[in-house]
Order: sequence, then C-alpha cells, then structure tokens
Amino acid sequence: MWRITDKEQREFSGGKEDWAVVARIAENCREFKVDDEDEMVADEPISCYNCRFRRWTSDSFICCK
Amino acid sequence: MRILVSIDDTDTMKMDGVEVRGTGELAGLIIKAIEKQGWGRCAPITRHQLLIHPDIAYTSHNSAMCFAADINKSFLKPLIDFASDFLARESAPDADPGLCVAVTERISRPGWLIGFGYMAKNIVLTKEKAYDLAQRLDIHLSEHGGTGQGVIGALAGAGLRLGGNDGRFKGKLKIKAENDMITAGEICSQGKVDMVKCLEEGIVLQDDDVVRLGDHIKPVWLYGKSVLLVYPLKEEVTNRACWQTYSKSQLRDF
Repeated sequence: MWRITDKEQREFSGGKEDWAVVARIAENCREFKVDDEDEMVADEPISCYNCRFRRWTSDSFICCK
Repeated sequence: MRILVSIDDTDTMKMDGVEVRGTGELAGLIIKAIEKQGWGRCAPITRHQLLIHPDIAYTSHNSAMCFAADINKSFLKPLIDFASDFLARESAPDADPGLCVAVTERISRPGWLIGFGYMAKNIVLTKEKAYDLAQRLDIHLSEHGGTGQGVIGALAGAGLRLGGNDGRFKGKLKIKAENDMITAGEICSQGKVDMVKCLEEGIVLQDDDVVRLGDHIKPVWLYGKSVLLVYPLKEEVTNRACWQTYSKSQLRDF
C-alpha cells in the first residue's frame, strides 16, 4: 500500500484514483485532517486525497504524517 | 484599468497546532483590502493547477491563485505596495511567495504570457525566465520571502487566467433552489455563472433545462466565462432533471 521513497517518505502505491482505498485508510487514521475546501478532490469527505497532510507527487501522494 | 493579481507559494505544510493561511485565503484578504480602500472592484478568484514535479519546491499541491480587478490607474502603485507588504507579512515563514500584477491592456504579447502559463503546467521553469518575460511585457513581478520561487507560479497564474480556459473558482457556490432542482436559466440569473455546459455532449444548456444540484457547486474558468459543468442523468434517476452538476472528483482536472 505504501512505498518508501529515496527521501524516506511514505508514498501511496495506489496512485491518484484509488478512491475507496484512501477513504478506508483515512477512516482509520488518527492524523487525518481535512484540507481547505478548494484542495479537496475526493467525493468522500474523509479521504487521504482530501487530507491536509498529503503532498501530491507526479503519480500519487506522500503522507507527511 | 483592468488588472490581474496573481499570487503563489505563500503557505507551508500545516502541522498540528499551527494554522497556516492558504494562498486562496490570502488572495481573498487582498480583495477585501482593495475593496475596503475603494481602489476598485474585484472578480472572483480562480485556482490554477501547475506542474507537480520533484524539482519544484511546492508545498502540497502547487497551485496559483488569481483574480481580476477594475481599478483607477492612480491606485495601481498603492495596490502593488500593499499586496507586497501583505505577502511579506502574512505568508508562512518558510514560504517562497511571489506576486504578479499585470495591466491587461499593456500586455503587448498576450500569447507569450498565456504560453508561459501552460508551460508551467507541463515543464519545470526558472525564476530567470519568469522575470525576463515579466520585464518584456511590462508586468509587475516580485518575490517576498524565502527563495522567491513563487514568482514562477504567480506569473503563470496570470497567464492562465488571461487565457480564459484553465482553473476552477475558489469556494463553493450557493445557489437557491427548491429540492436542489433548478433550471439553467435560473442558475445564470443568480449572477455567478455565465453558462451551464455539458462537455460530454458538447452542448450549452438551454434556459429551461433542469439541473439537479450536487453538494459541491463550483464553476470552472472556460471560454473566459464562469462555466458550471454538468453531466447527463439517466432518465430513470429522475423524471424532471436531466443534468447533474460535477462532483469534486470530476472537477479535479480543472
């Protein structure tokens, strides 16, 4: 589910369209915090894709927590 | 005169206990100040997605925020001075903020600025290129902290807004409608949407076409207009509305 980058950061291996999986991860994440409304991209409010601690990468995102 | 004000890279990753204002919020505060001072009237803010690349030091999503304003010529310098001080003061300490203010009728080669905007969505650009173009086009471009890399996004944001075919509007739109059903004509008459369009079918909705509103109503910047995008509903879903507004995930690519 996660791969470790060269900078030792956790990058989600499912890419940018794995809506159900990131919703499930976020539901079980104690660190989840919703980002500004303008930066939300998932229809599920609780989703890593909508989290203020995700940093988008070319293929996916890094979890900064 | 009409100006475009564009800012980028004003924030940092928000961590626990530290609230950092986003770039969009700062753009909104600049608008409030412009209107409070009586310098002019501002149009809504658009958000423009730029390239996500390992060589670019963005915070979390690499987007620029831009708005247009109609001001008296005499207020241009005070406005630039205010926005510069404001960004230096209000941006996050680790941010690299950039400010662009372009007087649209002075831009001798609009295509160059628009082209720069699209390049910033596709390739890694340098500050030098941004400053060089701004100087050639008589556009104000300045940095207000950190590395100042935000000047690239700020200039690109102005180009993309000028081009009229990129980005989505900041904030959610509130549209008054009974049972979330409303005609395209009524949507446009409420003043914040110029056109309701279905890209899949390639058509602009007629005034009496009925739209079902979702919970995330956000127009995009297309054809130099505020365009509300909809997709066709299957007939069995509802016997009245034939169209549904885009959801967040459908709007992601704008």
